[in-house]
Amino acid sequence: MAGATSEVSDVLSGELPAPVEFVVRWFPLVIVALLWELASGWVVAESILPAPSAVFLTLVEMFASGELIAALGISLYRVGIGISLSIAVGVLLGIGIARSESVENFFDIFLALLYPVPKTALVPLAILWLGRGTGTAILIIFLACLLPVVLNSYNAARGVDQNLIWSAQMMGTSDRRILWKVIIPDTIPNIVTGIRQAIPIAFIALTGAELIGASDGVGAIILSAGQLGLYPRMFAAIVAISAAAFFVLRGFDEFERRVFVWV
Amino acid sequence: MDGHVTVSHLEKVYQSGEEETKAIEDLSFEVEGGEFLSVVGPSGCGKSTLLYLIAGFLDVSSGEIAVDGKTVEGPGTDRGVVFQDYALFPWRTVMENVTYGLEEKGYDEEEQQTEAQRYIDMMDLTGFEDRYPKELSGGMKQRVALARTLAYEPQVLLMDEPFGALDQPLREALQDHLLDIWRDLNKTVVFITHDVEEAVYLSEKVMIMTRHPGTKKEVLDIDLDRTNSREEIITSQEFSDVKNDVWKLLHEETDTEVRA
Repeated sequence: MAGATSEVSDVLSGELPAPVEFVVRWFPLVIVALLWELASGWVVAESILPAPSAVFLTLVEMFASGELIAALGISLYRVGIGISLSIAVGVLLGIGIARSESVENFFDIFLALLYPVPKTALVPLAILWLGRGTGTAILIIFLACLLPVVLNSYNAARGVDQNLIWSAQMMGTSDRRILWKVIIPDTIPNIVTGIRQAIPIAFIALTGAELIGASDGVGAIILSAGQLGLYPRMFAAIVAISAAAFFVLRGFDEFERRVFVWV
Repeated sequence: MDGHVTVSHLEKVYQSGEEETKAIEDLSFEVEGGEFLSVVGPSGCGKSTLLYLIAGFLDVSSGEIAVDGKTVEGPGTDRGVVFQDYALFPWRTVMENVTYGLEEKGYDEEEQQTEAQRYIDMMDLTGFEDRYPKELSGGMKQRVALARTLAYEPQVLLMDEPFGALDQPLREALQDHLLDIWRDLNKTVVFITHDVEEAVYLSEKVMIMTRHPGTKKEVLDIDLDRTNSREEIITSQEFSDVKNDVWKLLHEETDTEVRA
């Protein structure tokens, strides 16, 4: 049994040439797309489940008309600002909580209460305060991303090796500058892990917020297309925002790999 | 400024809630400037605590520690610690680790590079300047740590079982390297170890500590002819005599531990 297992894992873990690797990786997607293409209009009515080819054509049209690019621009702007705010606040809060008991005592209860709340449930309240549009989307994204950023920054700052702090102190670094010279550089890789976790959450929050909280952006297109029964259009918008999230994550991974060479 | 360390009536009590644990009790000793003192003792005798007290990382409960007559009140650049786990800054290259103390001293970039390079060369790390700590072996990391500490020129080196995690040949090579440096640079060294042979081989004096709470049991002078090679020293009758003396004193303490 053990021998068989290791044989199987050998086959899977073996290095494949890049083009082969690419095909193997994307092949399942191709199969499902083909099955979907066949099922549409045969097993399920095309009006409910449009074929991938139809979705793809609509996607191309929406790109060509500039409509999708504009909507993606708006949505990505909201994600960018929302995440940036959550990083700015979350990193400071996380490190603050880890390094200072009074900061911890003050914010603990808010974070504990905020944690289980589905952030999109706050959209109606956000609309009431900020109106429909960018402000609401940013607030929801900010709240949704805040916790992963805070928690990872907190754990990272907690985990700083005491000997590193002592090393800096013995070489003449003052307590005040320890934050910049040791704690922040040592925690950045883990903080970045928190930011990475926040990226998919941001896209989830974005779409949730835009569905009802905005009249523009990709989420608004999804809802209006759905209501009007323009399903290829709805699917195209879903594909577009999913692809955007995918490429943002990929780009972030590449950035992480290049910047944090010491990890 | 010759690195004379005076420890007088030192006491260290750890407090956790209601409970008090006395780690060190009424400990007094001196280390002359330029002297090499090793401290051995059963585990839990507070020898690392002693080192961190001298370093100024921990506060004394009572008594006093002074370096060149100046009471220790916190970490300072007159003392340099070498940790067992190296404690290198992972985000800095070898060169950047070694320049850290020089940066903090306010040297300009060029002075930092020249000074750091001297110690990098001294520790046989030439060619590894741009590597990150994760790319280095344990022995190399410890050499970087030593270079980093030597570079900002503390008069007193405090070493906490620095070679404890390394295998025998590497440990011996680093011991000899350390002895060369100690002779050349005329540093005061306080060296914590649990290895009797290491203590005797390296030191001019070995302090044996009692088991919990830790205090001085005995200080032995080690008088070996240092002009001899390692092999000559290690295999000499004198060496094994002193080693046996230290071993016996130490085992009186570990025996009480076993009985307790």
